Amino acid sequence: MAFVKLNDLEIEVEDGTNVVEAAREHGIEVPHYCYHPGLSRPANCRMCLVEPHVFFPPAGAIVPDRQLATGCTTVLRTAPPDRKLDGKYDFIVRTDSERVKKARADILEFLLVHHPLDCPVCDQAGECDLQDYSHRHGHDKSRYLEVKNVPPKKDLGPDVLLYATRCVVCTRCIRFADEVSGTGELGLVHRGSHDEIDIPRSHEGVPLQVLDNKLAGNVVDICPVGALISKDFLFKSRPWFLEKANSVCSGCSVGCNITVEYKADGVYRLKPRFHEDINQHWICDDGRLGYHYVNSDDRLQLPLKRVDDALTPTHWADALATITEKLSDIETEDIVVIGSAQGTNEDNYVLQQFAHDVLKTTQLGLFGQLPGEAHKFPQFTIEADKNPNTAGARTILGSANGNTVLEGDALWEKVSSAKVVYLVSGAPERPLEDAEKAALESVDFLVVQDVLPSEVTQFADVVLPGTTFAEKDGTFTNSTGWVQRIRKTIDPPGEARVDWEITQQLAKQLGGEMNYHFAGEIALEIAENVPGYADATHQKIGDAGIKLADSDQ
Amino acid sequence: MSDELIQIETPFAFNEENQREFNALIGRYPVKEAAMLPTLHLAQRQAGYITPAVMKYVAEQLEVSVMKVKDVVTFYPMFFEEPVGEYVIRVCHTLPCALRDCKGVLEHLKAKLDTDIAAETNLAKGTTPDGKFTLMKVECLASCDVAPVIMVNDDLYKNLTPEKIDEIIDNL
Ligand code: SF4
Ligand code: SF4
Ligand code: FES
Ligand code: FES
Repeated sequence: MAFVKLNDLEIEVEDGTNVVEAAREHGIEVPHYCYHPGLSRPANCRMCLVEPHVFFPPAGAIVPDRQLATGCTTVLRTAPPDRKLDGKYDFIVRTDSERVKKARADILEFLLVHHPLDCPVCDQAGECDLQDYSHRHGHDKSRYLEVKNVPPKKDLGPDVLLYATRCVVCTRCIRFADEVSGTGELGLVHRGSHDEIDIPRSHEGVPLQVLDNKLAGNVVDICPVGALISKDFLFKSRPWFLEKANSVCSGCSVGCNITVEYKADGVYRLKPRFHEDINQHWICDDGRLGYHYVNSDDRLQLPLKRVDDALTPTHWADALATITEKLSDIETEDIVVIGSAQGTNEDNYVLQQFAHDVLKTTQLGLFGQLPGEAHKFPQFTIEADKNPNTAGARTILGSANGNTVLEGDALWEKVSSAKVVYLVSGAPERPLEDAEKAALESVDFLVVQDVLPSEVTQFADVVLPGTTFAEKDGTFTNSTGWVQRIRKTIDPPGEARVDWEITQQLAKQLGGEMNYHFAGEIALEIAENVPGYADATHQKIGDAGIKLADSDQ
Repeated sequence: MSDELIQIETPFAFNEENQREFNALIGRYPVKEAAMLPTLHLAQRQAGYITPAVMKYVAEQLEVSVMKVKDVVTFYPMFFEEPVGEYVIRVCHTLPCALRDCKGVLEHLKAKLDTDIAAETNLAKGTTPDGKFTLMKVECLASCDVAPVIMVNDDLYKNLTPEKIDEIIDNL
């Protein structure tokens, strides 16, 4: 630990912390553009200048009394005992001196020389470091009277636009493409004040390569200004109108931490949230852009029931009555209950409880998205398992009551011989393989709980409208054993309901004794009954997640 | 994205002689990327100017992204991304040459060759229709003591007067 005098504070910081981070930990802003904790540090923007009172000059060297240094690369460390400052400090630094303030304001003036000041039409306004720092640290006028450069707007890739006029040339985006995705599509063309971010193009402007790697969207997040813009979000909403909730991506089993940004009428965008051991600062574009199904007009909003061979809307009471009637005179061994790797631990816990206590069956299955492709980048991995909760669903469906959990071929074999199947899906756009199709077609009475009409629902006799990750509380367990919370943001569409509530309603109607009120309550029971999950209560999981004790990865 | 990716129809590769030279120079650098400038000069000498095919080839040779090559090519005005004349005439216009009337040199050349001065991103502007000359302004050629100076391809001409310029051009 280094003992540092920061402005008038005396603080202890871990050796190796830079001044920007040390100050941030103590609520002091050191404005910065090029520095990003997930990238290398070129110290090229000079925005973070601070005033270290004394360096450690070699004996006899003449150094200016005080000089400014970049806070992003000024690293705090314990000094040898004979080099302590004022007899005790390892370092003394001011972030609020007059010289620092003047330097900041002057640098901002330079950065704004060619800037169009088009905040009123800029997507970044409201979450822009240039706007914020200008307010807090900048001059109120510019002395630049000459003509401004107006580089053209450029299309960089499927989801990324460059408004080159707004760029402060911090090179974060270039370093991201070089270091994190390792794809190297971005660079600078031209020189000096004509510097422009670009992808490689011919002299005529035809691209040789575009910014289409699966991590590309992150450059929009890390761009401190409105230069890199997501086409998906462009002109959709002002950021200050959006509500935010901490959640977890449901796109694959990595379980990236995200913030869901939403309004009453739907989800507007997903942003990465830092988690040191899972996704650091990043998410992939599959996850980032994978929320659209939540807002889809095709979402199932009412229960459906097969009448004369066609699925027809009905009300909940009728749908549930149809199911209970069917279930009440059926042999236990003819029933298969299938949980979902898209569902939460809580959904699956209630489902297996229903199967065990009410239907008295131990025949459970696990359903989910088909495996996709895995992608490896120098600093990021996307998993092939496109379900957020395979690990959790598998454990929870199987463990509590000694159930067997069938998957793949074994499951479809079992389904082929079943009379009644209750299948919880929730996997958006799930195409069926031939064996799956044949098995589902052969079932006498198929109940499907899902979020969108799909190949699965077309075989159903009753369809129950369930909910997506954005519409419920609960937990997912990722592939490395982290249990993390998702949170309800928007209301489910129409009469769709939270999945475990549907199951509970069915149980009640069949005489089961089940009375959960909220997901956290179910998690408490999971903690009691499922091995390894003792600490996995919503309270303990919080925003950071907890790692299961027996997962050693 | 509406833009189609560029298709490289005729790939570029060093000829035997340049390959030998490349092999020799690459050994002089600690990392391949560091050989960027000499490699580009070599490629430009062979191809005339840096085409997408050349950028791609150089990127492969130096094991860097194409963008890194493009970055360097657009940074230095010595690299051309479009065809230039057989003779590239660089007129120094930095201070010492300016004090020794480089403007006169430029005007004289413009009139004599009947062409404009090239812009960095539009070399055609300073190239004669017969493809013989490209006229461009450059920064200090490190010969201020003998200003005003011009370079014609790799040769430096100093202490210029209109007569001297006529003589140089007529003898090309
Ligand atoms: S586009 Fe954004 S991230 Fe990239 S250099 Fe410019 S300001 Fe920085
Ligand atoms: S890697 Fe997986 S969990 Fe992470 S953002 Fe992509 S799809 Fe979502
Ligand atoms: S943030 Fe330190 S120089 Fe850019
Ligand atoms: S200024 Fe012309 S050679 Fe130096």
